[in-house]
Order: sequence, then C-alpha cells, then structure tokens
Amino acid sequence: MQKYRHYSSSMKRSGKYIVSRKIDQIFINLYDVYKFILRFFKEVLFPPYEFKEVVRQCYEIGYKSLPLITLTGFITGLVFTKQSRPSLADFGATSWLPSLVSIAIIRALAPLVTALITAGKVGSQIGAELGSMNVTEQIDAMEVSGTNPFKFLVVTRMLATTFMIPLLAVYTCIVSLIGSYINVNQNEQTSYSSFVVSALQNISFLDLFSSIIKTTLFGFTIGAVGCYQGYNSSKGTEGVGKAANSAVVVSMFLIFIEEILVVQIVNAIR
Amino acid sequence: MEASENKRSVVVGIFVFLGIVLFVAGIFTLAGQQKRFVKSININAIFDNVAGLKIGNNVWFSGVKIGTVKKIDFYGSSQVKILMNVEEEAQKYIHKNATAQISSEGIIGNRIIVIQGGSLNLPNVESGDRIGVKKALDTDKMMEDLQANNKNLIDITGNLSVITTRMVEGKGSIGALLTDSTMAGSLRNTMAGLSSASQNINNTAVSLSNFSNKMNHKGGLVDKLLTDTAVFSQLQSSVGEIKRLSLSAATLSNDLTTAGAKLNNKDNAIGVLLNDQQTAESLKKTLLNLESSSAKLDENMEALQHNFLLKGYFKKKAKGEAKEVK
Repeated sequence: MQKYRHYSSSMKRSGKYIVSRKIDQIFINLYDVYKFILRFFKEVLFPPYEFKEVVRQCYEIGYKSLPLITLTGFITGLVFTKQSRPSLADFGATSWLPSLVSIAIIRALAPLVTALITAGKVGSQIGAELGSMNVTEQIDAMEVSGTNPFKFLVVTRMLATTFMIPLLAVYTCIVSLIGSYINVNQNEQTSYSSFVVSALQNISFLDLFSSIIKTTLFGFTIGAVGCYQGYNSSKGTEGVGKAANSAVVVSMFLIFIEEILVVQIVNAIR
Repeated sequence: MEASENKRSVVVGIFVFLGIVLFVAGIFTLAGQQKRFVKSININAIFDNVAGLKIGNNVWFSGVKIGTVKKIDFYGSSQVKILMNVEEEAQKYIHKNATAQISSEGIIGNRIIVIQGGSLNLPNVESGDRIGVKKALDTDKMMEDLQANNKNLIDITGNLSVITTRMVEGKGSIGALLTDSTMAGSLRNTMAGLSSASQNINNTAVSLSNFSNKMNHKGGLVDKLLTDTAVFSQLQSSVGEIKRLSLSAATLSNDLTTAGAKLNNKDNAIGVLLNDQQTAESLKKTLLNLESSSAKLDENMEALQHNFLLKGYFKKKAKGEAKEVK
C-alpha cells in the first residue's frame, strides 16, 4: 500500500524521465488513478463490508448537504425562470416557461448544480479529512493495527457519494421546480396542475434516467477525486490544503467533461 | 454512541427512502402523463411529407392527446410511413375511413398528427390498420399566396397613388369637386335643394301622421268601421242589397238584350215594323191614306154640323156653354 502511494515519488527521485518531468508526471498520475479506481472495485466487491461507516458517510455527505442543496436548487429554479421569461415574452410564449425550465432543470441544471455544490462541500471535506489523516499518519497506523484503510476510508466515502449525489439531484429537481412554479404562479397565475402537466410535457424517461446515471457518475467522480487527492496528499499541512483544493478543482473539471460526454451519448441514443 | 449511530442510520434511511419515493413518484407521474401504462393499438399512415415530425410527437383527436408517434420509416420511393401508438380508449371514435393530418401545437409548437374520426356508419379502426392522410397546410404554398397578395397590394397602392395625384391636380370628377369653386357652389345649391326637399318630405310625413292620427281618432269613420259592429252589420246588409240589386239589374239587362235581339228579328210585329222596308213603305202609305181620310172625315163632319137634322143640337150646346161661362 505504502509502496503504491509513493510509486510516483520514487520515479521522481530516480531522475529518469521518458518524455519530460511534467508529461511523465501526468501519465504517472493517470496510472495512479487507474490503480486507485481498480482497487476500489476490488475492495468493494469482497468482504468485510463497512456498512456502518457507509451509513455514517451517507449521513455526512447526503443528509448534511440537504439544506445547502435545497437553498441552491430553489434559487436556481426561481432565478432561471425569472431570467428566461423576457426571451419567451418577446414571442408571447410565456406559457412555455414550465416546459423550458423543467427540461433545463431535469436534463442539466439539477445534476450540475448538485454535483458542483457537493464537489465544493463534500469533495473538499473528503480531501482535507483524508489528507490530514495521511499527514498525521493515521492511515499508516490503521494499516499497522490490521484495519484496511482503503476499505474503511475510501470505499465507504466513494460509495456514499455515488449513492447520495443522485438522491440529492432528485431533491434539487423537486425544489427547483417548486421555485420555478412559485415564480410562474406569481407572474402568469398558472395553476399547480397546469404547471406540472406543462413541465412534464416534453420530459422523457431517457431524460430522467440519463440524469440519474449522470449524477451517479458525478458522485463517483467527486468521491474518487476527493479520496485520491486526500489519500495521496503530500506530507505537511500544505499538503492538506492542496488536497482539499485539488479535490474541488479536479472534480469540478471532470464533472463538466463528463457532462459533455454523457450529453453526447444521450443525444446519440435519443 | 450506539444511540447516535442508530439515529444517524434512521435519518439516512428516511433520506434515502424519501429520495427514492420522489424519484418513483416522478416516474409514475411522467408515465401517467405520457399514458405509458394505458392499453394501446398501432395505426399507420403514409404521408408524402411529414414536415419535421419526430418520434414521440403527440397524436391528437378532437384536440385531445390520444397517443404518440412510435416509428417513422421511409416508404416506397419518397413517402414516409408513420406508426402511431393510439390509446385503446380512443379506438371507438376512429373509424375505417379516418384521416390523419400533420399539424402543429400552435405557431411555434411541436409537430403533431391530428386524426379525424371518419364516418360513423363504418366500423372502428383496428390495430395494424392503415388510415388515409389529409394534406397538411403547406407553408410554402401559403407564402406563394401571400406573395401574390403582396403584388396585388402593390398594384392597388400604385393605382391609389395615381388616383390621389389626379384628385390633387383637380383632374376627373372628384378632383374637380375638390378644386373647382363653381362646382362646389353648384354642389352647395344642390345640397340646399336637397335640404329643402327633405324639409318638405318631413312636412308631408307630419301631415300624413296627423291624417293617420285623425283616422285613428275615436268616433271617426275609420274607427267606427274598425270598431262599431252595428255599422259593420249595416254595411254588410247594404252590400247584400247592392248585390241583389245588381242581380236584378243583370236580369233586366238580359231581358233587354233578349228584347233588343227580338227587335232586330222580322219574326214579330215590332221587328217587322222596325226592320222591314216594305212594311214601312206600306205603313207610310196607310198613314198618308189615314191622314187624307181624316181630313175628308173632318170636312164631312163639318158638313153634318150644318145639316138641319143636327143643327138644333149644336145650338143647344153652345147656349149651355155660354151660360156656364156667365
């Protein structure tokens, strides 16, 4: 384990680079990530299972993010509706607002907002937590005491983010649509049932399932990046900060990349 | 510690449960709205042009969504075959000769298929049946018509421009009317005459009104005719009398006609007297003979008065008359 975590460091120390230091480092990191994720799948399939820790992480990651997600989702729905109105009003098509907003929320906004918020909140938390444990050699201590730190710390967190982000995205959808409904009702006096019918008019099952698959992927990415950055953080307090910071930045970057890829794939299927 | 963990587990459980419930509720609402769990039949139609219709677009009947477009395939050389998934509930309203038409949900809305039910006396459509198509309103054709209208409008405005220019220049009747002061004066006089005529008409109308009021006045002739039953019965009896009189007159006239006809015939005494020339000649001679005879008779009678046998009588008569005179 220790050997694995410091594999790239030993390469650096040897002074032998294939292309250049920076390019070699990128490929080394990619290899590290590949090994890290492969290990996750190995560890998650075989016992012992850390159910209690998974539930605890679900509570920390999912439930504790709910107020923030609710507020963000509500504002997103409300503001998006408000900002979209003038464009549609130019065509006298404000009755299309529920449909437009629901498509935007269900297909893109709710998964993205949820993922970005949790990447900021949970990703940095995981990165910092594991980074500080690494700095204070608690991970090594766990290994010494016979506990599998990867299974206990990484697998549980990655499972929690993978399960919780889609659920949080469902909440975001609902809350955003409520925010949108409030705005539409205020301005167009649209009834609730009419809003729901209009909102779901152009939504297909593919939209729902692609969003769920997307958020599952986002959750896995946030967990994986946070855990990887924290688990492989450099020693010292600076390393903790770096791990937290890169957990957020990298996961956000990857979220957008995944968003593009998933949208392309879904549109090809549609 | 364990209580805290239990509490955490319950919270996470509730959170997950609610999330799943919301997701499932969303799926069911969507499925309900898209009528995914409703029994349906497949109907197909072949169009020349589907104008951007897509899989999943709605199928309407009488403005109600009854299904969706399930499949779009090319057919033949350039036609398009559309497979529609229609609710079984709507099957009873769609008959064998129903037609499908490509339309849209409003001006900027999605493309839809509108089904028209067909004849009621024909059996209902069944799954797999092909229904007829009705040509959709072609926007290109509409634009062509609009363009033609625009050209007409340009011509009309051009003509109007010419007319107004001529009017401003005082050409033509209307131009003269607008610019010629003499014509304006004549028009004014005409208008004054018309005004006077209308005043007269007004007075006449007033007089007629008064006359009709008098006619309707209580106790007047018309009022009595219209309201008094005694007058009416008298009139009725008078009319009866006139009718009888006219019948008598007719009879008399007939008799006179018959008598006149007889007078023209020679088979009676008067007819012979009136019409026969010989009789007239004979009668004239007779009358002449009578005149001559009476003159001779008068002379004889005068002679008798002087006869001695009758002389005494005439003297006696003359004395009596003289005595009466005294």
